[in-house]
Amino acid sequence: MIASGEQTHDSSVMDQVGDNIIHHVSNSSLDHPLIHLPHVFGIDLSVTKHVFMLWIVAIVVACAVIIPIQKYLQKNKPVPSGWMNLLEMVVKFVRDSIVQPNIGSKYTEMWAPMILTFFFFILFANGIGLIPIFDLLGALNRFIFQVPASDDHNIINALLHGGVTATGNFNVTAALAVITFFAILIAGTRAHGFINHWKNLAPPGLPWPVYLILIPIEIIGMFVKPFALTMRLAANMTGGHIAILAILSFMAIFAEMFNSAITGMGVALFSVPLATAISGLEIIVVLVQAYVFTLLSAVFIGMAINVHH
Amino acid sequence: MENLHLFGVGVGLGLIVIGAGIGIGRLAAGAAEGIARQPEASDKITAAVNLPLFLLEGVAILGEVFALLIVLMK
Repeated sequence: MIASGEQTHDSSVMDQVGDNIIHHVSNSSLDHPLIHLPHVFGIDLSVTKHVFMLWIVAIVVACAVIIPIQKYLQKNKPVPSGWMNLLEMVVKFVRDSIVQPNIGSKYTEMWAPMILTFFFFILFANGIGLIPIFDLLGALNRFIFQVPASDDHNIINALLHGGVTATGNFNVTAALAVITFFAILIAGTRAHGFINHWKNLAPPGLPWPVYLILIPIEIIGMFVKPFALTMRLAANMTGGHIAILAILSFMAIFAEMFNSAITGMGVALFSVPLATAISGLEIIVVLVQAYVFTLLSAVFIGMAINVHH
Repeated sequence: MENLHLFGVGVGLGLIVIGAGIGIGRLAAGAAEGIARQPEASDKITAAVNLPLFLLEGVAILGEVFALLIVLMK
């Protein structure tokens, strides 16, 4: 809010609010990358905010999940304690109530690691998006260290461009969904063989006009599944942030509409508690969306393995 | 007249909310009724309700994304 709230003084608040909200949920633009990198095959490889957030998520997942589990496995008497208790509970939950019922006991060991990776990555990426650490750093930077907002060489000012939820970017979730897409193909191929997997798309023994309709639908469905996964996760993560920012923007909008600061303060009495409540709701959404993505991935993989005729 | 697309988005968002609300409400009502009649089957009922619930939510979210796209791209 701090970085871009004071950009233009000549346009009205109403025009700024929309841009401000989009600015705070989208990736930082290529004009303000954190690290400049050259183009490779026409693709700009510069490190933007969401790429940086992906690195942070990777580091956090490594520190919070991978390293404790490796340490725990190296111990002679494996009795979980502290943080490991929670991890074991989550891993057991994912294996026993997401993977096992949907994929089946035979392939649980094969697909549980991938589903668990999805779960932890999405959970941490969503969760980190809720922590307004960069806005706090920006406020410190501006008011304590007196760095002007126009100074783009300052690393914290550069970090203020764009949103922090990496899973709120459609490209990130599309990459995750592409993994699911290929996982479905590989699961079906491993379970039934290459030819039979494609034959399983449509049930046998129907009259041929039905196939004319059924086969295109099944092929479209093959692509719609990962597409829906992409949209669901990214839109959910973006939507909550937009709602919070829009409700907070009511203060500025009403203050300008009635041309008095008192009105803005009065609206704050209503919009700040509401934004806090939606932040609480967002915590649930973060957990549910990590669960949903992994559950649906498991269901789709299970549909390729356990074909119903 | 050039801002008519905003009107459409507003009505569309309302319709999305109505549809998703009816769908999720019916699912929740059915699940609550089923659990009230057979409390021992609550795990199975929850598992059966989860998947259609998320698919329904996905459709609603898709509608919202397209509404947002209409606003942003006109």
